[in-house]
Amino acid sequence: MTWQGNPDVSAARNLNTSGDTSALRQGADDFASWPDNSLMTAIVARNESAFAVLYDRYVDLVYSASLRVLGDAQLAEDATQDIFVRLWRRPESFVAERGRFVSWLMSVVRNRAVDELRARGRRRRREGGPGSEGDEETLAALPSDTDDPLSTAQLHEEQVVVRGALVCLPPDQRVALELAYFSGLTQQEIALMLHEPLGTVKTRIRLGMQKLRRSLRGQV
Amino acid sequence: MESTHVTQEQADEFAIGSLPPEVAYAVILHADTCAACRDIVGESQRAAAALVIGLRRYAPPERLKGRVLRDAGITRPGPVAWAARLLTAGAGIAAVVVAIASFAGLVSLRGQVDELRDGNAQLQTNIDGALPTKVELAALTRRLSDTEKNNADLLAAALGDRELLLALLSPDSDVADVIPVNDSVNAIGRFVWDDAQKKVWFVANKLAATQKDQTYQLWVNSGGRYISLGTFNPDAAGYARYETVVPQGLKSYESAVVTIETAGGASERSGPSVFVTDLSRIRR
Ligand SMILES: [Zn+2]
Repeated sequence: MTWQGNPDVSAARNLNTSGDTSALRQGADDFASWPDNSLMTAIVARNESAFAVLYDRYVDLVYSASLRVLGDAQLAEDATQDIFVRLWRRPESFVAERGRFVSWLMSVVRNRAVDELRARGRRRRREGGPGSEGDEETLAALPSDTDDPLSTAQLHEEQVVVRGALVCLPPDQRVALELAYFSGLTQQEIALMLHEPLGTVKTRIRLGMQKLRRSLRGQV
Repeated sequence: MESTHVTQEQADEFAIGSLPPEVAYAVILHADTCAACRDIVGESQRAAAALVIGLRRYAPPERLKGRVLRDAGITRPGPVAWAARLLTAGAGIAAVVVAIASFAGLVSLRGQVDELRDGNAQLQTNIDGALPTKVELAALTRRLSDTEKNNADLLAAALGDRELLLALLSPDSDVADVIPVNDSVNAIGRFVWDDAQKKVWFVANKLAATQKDQTYQLWVNSGGRYISLGTFNPDAAGYARYETVVPQGLKSYESAVVTIETAGGASERSGPSVFVTDLSRIRR
């Protein structure tokens, strides 16, 4: 029989007793490889390091989506802050059985940003619409990861697949989808904006989603 | 809608936010109870999320992270700070241990099932087997936790103990209550057996210090024979966390017992018992 004594309690607990500065990084490193759902479980249990890792993993995506909807850097920053603070305070609102974390997060972001947009009477969008010149100006003034070749090379595999799927979408279908998703417009409002019959808009959205689903099926 | 199921078109409109709120809510409610529709909605949501994931990415200003953490009330203590609090926490540790067990048994079930279901269909059988035991044990520990004030900081501290957390979350682990042999011992303990990591943990609090020439020793009863798993002593606050590997070749075990033996450990169980754990009802 071999002895497996742990005479020293502090050692037995596997606690990091090295310098204070490395402590925070070590906490984050511990979680860096954890999948989203596990991080959320740890966040439910109030683990701050897990939250920090999740923040780093998704902040660019949340911010970019907010920016795309709101078209204003300060509003996007506020929305991003609000979304992450809410995620920390009410992490149990994510239910893993309902689907992937990233899909849930994106729906939270989209709904939060669109609510903000609606609260502002849709002024901004009604004047320009998504992808308008005003938006492009705002976006062009901001640093973007795609400006950096290194970042481009490190683009997440999923992003590459998704971009491939989006490129394959006929433009009219993509526009209809983006108007619905990023502008929070009803299909009736989209029809009015595009001067197309409601049935045409419905068909474009249906076909666009169908195409996206097929492109993504079995991928990632 | 065909019967009450969600159509593909509804799922798509739900995912891109085009459904009226009351219909969207009905979709959520139905998908919660219908696996087939949940898959349909999930696939649509993934397609909709692609619209965002495919966007050109912009980084927010660096200052945002500080704002978020402050607003969330996070002071960002590292493991060292947690450890310091643990060491001075005394009786509060019981709540931590209990909360971990409750947490592992209940809160994590969702994530656990979800991830492993993705990974390997065969694992489903294991999960289904492990869950009832965990829920049952968690219910027991939850009762205990009602008598103690849960402390979120301390729970976070214990969760910083990554290996133990992994063991608690693992479908291959089992958690058993450790029962004091007599009423004069008011310590609370848990015994965690993780077949995947081939490890055993024993955690307890309010554990009295032994005499200088004595030690606590953990034994497992296999086929009527007591096999030593090693010796340990609590810290100044009465907290003990002992971990060891499952001895090779150990296939069956009926119970575990903690005894007080002479310092260095005994080769045969001989001292007075402090705790016992019934391992027989743990499912294999
Ligand atoms: Zn259904």
